[in-house]
Amino acid sequence: MTRPALPARTPWRQLQDRIATGLITAAGIGVLLAILAIGVFLFWETLPLLTRFETLSLERLSPLAWGTLKAAIAALVVALPLALGGAIYSALFMSERLRARIKPILELMEAVPGVVVGFVAGLVLAPWVERHLASALALVVWLPLCAVLAGLLWHATPARLRGWLPLGRAGLWLLPWMAAMAVLALWAAPMIEQRWLGDDLVTLLDRRFGLDYTTRNTLIVGLAMGFAVIPGVYSLAEDALHDVPRSLMEGAQALGASRWQALWKVALPMAGPGIFSAAMIGAGRAVGETMIVLMASSNAALISLSPFEGLRSFSAAIAIELPEAPPGGLTYHLLILAALVLFLFTFLVNTLAETVRQRLRRRYRSGGGR
Amino acid sequence: MKRLDRRRWPGDALWTWLCAGCVALSLFMLITLLTLLVARGLGHFWPAPLEALTLHSGEQVIGQPVREAPLPHGAGSERLYFTGNRELNGADWRWVALDDIAAVNEPEDAIRLERSPWGDVTGRLAALEVEGERLTGAPARARLQSLLALPAGQRPRGELVLTTAQGSPLVQPLATITAFQAPNALSTLEKAGVWGQGVWRFLSEGPRAANTGGGVWPAIFGTLLMVIVMSVIVTPFGVLAAIYLNEIAHQNRLTRLVRIGVRNLAGVPSIVYGVFGLGVFVYGIGGSIDTWFFDEALPSPTFGTGGLLWASLTLALLTLPVVIVATEEGLARIPDAQREGALALGATRLEMLTRVVLPMATPAMLTGVILAVARAAGEVAPLMLVGVAKLAPQMPLDGEFPYLHLERKFMHLGYHLFDTAFHGDDVEAAIPLVYATALLLVLIVLVLNLTAIFLRHHLRRQQGGSWSRS
Repeated sequence: MTRPALPARTPWRQLQDRIATGLITAAGIGVLLAILAIGVFLFWETLPLLTRFETLSLERLSPLAWGTLKAAIAALVVALPLALGGAIYSALFMSERLRARIKPILELMEAVPGVVVGFVAGLVLAPWVERHLASALALVVWLPLCAVLAGLLWHATPARLRGWLPLGRAGLWLLPWMAAMAVLALWAAPMIEQRWLGDDLVTLLDRRFGLDYTTRNTLIVGLAMGFAVIPGVYSLAEDALHDVPRSLMEGAQALGASRWQALWKVALPMAGPGIFSAAMIGAGRAVGETMIVLMASSNAALISLSPFEGLRSFSAAIAIELPEAPPGGLTYHLLILAALVLFLFTFLVNTLAETVRQRLRRRYRSGGGR
Repeated sequence: MKRLDRRRWPGDALWTWLCAGCVALSLFMLITLLTLLVARGLGHFWPAPLEALTLHSGEQVIGQPVREAPLPHGAGSERLYFTGNRELNGADWRWVALDDIAAVNEPEDAIRLERSPWGDVTGRLAALEVEGERLTGAPARARLQSLLALPAGQRPRGELVLTTAQGSPLVQPLATITAFQAPNALSTLEKAGVWGQGVWRFLSEGPRAANTGGGVWPAIFGTLLMVIVMSVIVTPFGVLAAIYLNEIAHQNRLTRLVRIGVRNLAGVPSIVYGVFGLGVFVYGIGGSIDTWFFDEALPSPTFGTGGLLWASLTLALLTLPVVIVATEEGLARIPDAQREGALALGATRLEMLTRVVLPMATPAMLTGVILAVARAAGEVAPLMLVGVAKLAPQMPLDGEFPYLHLERKFMHLGYHLFDTAFHGDDVEAAIPLVYATALLLVLIVLVLNLTAIFLRHHLRRQQGGSWSRS
């Protein structure tokens, strides 16, 4: 009699299999339920607010809502141009070898903990900007001009020399150029400030326009949170642009379009949804970020348009006030309502972005036809 | 061709250059941040020279220069000195206008002491009186060095006599001194040794003087322990949920929705998880445990307040999507042929999973867990709600039964950084340590992320070569 090499399906093995499958299913569904519980809990804890609706609540929440919105807008104003510009360049113009190195580095930016960014923004950048407001604002205008200036100079140099500094690696060799230009601007700006304005810009703002200047203000929050939002937006937008079928770009260029025209007329419309979803995810991140807003803003609940005044966002208010709020009180429920708003907003925004991205992926797979 | 080029020249090319500038600027910001952290974080431990100043007014000051700042209205600049001697001067710091300084020298016998009550002292070493001997100069420094290596209880009774900058004597009993520095007498090599010691003390000692001095060991330990407890919770559940989603559940519209949902939870702000942890774990479950088991301790809560367990659970929930997504990615890469082959040979589903699928997906799971740990190590906001402490009196792990105290509060590097930087009494003294802490935190998180990236890269190459699905 020969026995089979493998034991037959004994009842014990069958039972084991049943039990394991059951356990995995239970654990899987349990985890998914636990995740669902977050939403349910937040809803449940805000219900008491319906029975004791007071006008006070709206008064307390509206500065926070405004602060959240203002911080997010400031961050996006900083992050979107930088991230999208970077994505366009590295997806379409950068050499492949350099791209393989630079992209992971920029994505690592996302890993820098918020508390570190917040500390540098709040205790290093903010006092510096307060003392050198004119220089800081000058840098914002001057550095993009420098990039363009580098381009002008590059086109003016003979083609033989251009080979040393190819456009495909410009992202890297512009770095020392920008650093040198930044140093130049920092050296020249105080003199120009004295010559043209005759006084410190901060004092001038106060005297001429009655604008208060807070050390930790919206400008700082925008810069710091922009730094945190750039990598996420860049990475997604770059993926979308890089995945545009090569044949389409090459076709456009064969028909006489320049690279920039091909980008504008072919790649951007194709990758548009992907870029949109990247921006959405950036917005979600900016709305919910806590430590950066907490450390880089003055945390004063104000409603003002001035970029030189502080703000207080939902997330910062939760982090500061919730540990002290007695459970069951009005503040407790209000703060949970704030958390619910954050949860719903980011969840909706991310779902929208994810759906758009999946549709885009299907479109790419089908070769680009609509 | 040339004509065409010229016609489109400005509009086209300049935009491209602007885009290239964006990449350069982003890199510039990242490099600046890291350079700042490295320079200030590590530079702090390098012994700065002790300068003895003579001011135009005839006053003498001894101190370590810290930084310079311009005076208002273009009146030159001033320099901040650390002078110590809080009980004599009323403050540890002194701003000196550069124009006021008549002479600067760096005397070899200038010395900076760390004491346990009161803050640091600077002055000139006059004599060391120990066991009836009276030593001065270099022998005194060498003897002091060897005496300080002993624990405070075993040191012989003795005194250190300093001359303060004002010329008055200051007598300091040996037992109160914890460390000393005579930076002006050191060679570069010796300074490097002092630097290494400083870094080591920062990593291995507890905080002193309301977190403005000393090290961050309890915070490192707390972070590690929290992350370990969190991984123990998140790994099995994350992996099981991923296996369920990918291997057991029917692939239909519902699973696709769930998958999108899980993916999106990674984008929900961390503070929301903190709120959930506070409301459900701390007040809900913790409160109930207190009323059932720790009735005698009420109203002071045992589990009904933030603690290690609740913090770990909250962060486990926060990082669950990371583990699920990474594991699912690994599972989806395994070709169906492998599964069908195992089943065709008579394996049950359990055997197919444990012997074929899971071993192949292990690197993906590991990547997920490492990414989760990296995320958790840098996260601070939810911890502020569920159990982090400014200064934990007891470690959550000690020799007392049951050894691991899940209900205790713990210290965390990120929160330590936040608290020291923004709620300290002496921010000037705390800032260098905050830089060092920030550098440490960034290093930990970056190393973890790099490990995950390399693991994933390695994995993709390996699998892309041998058994790619497409």
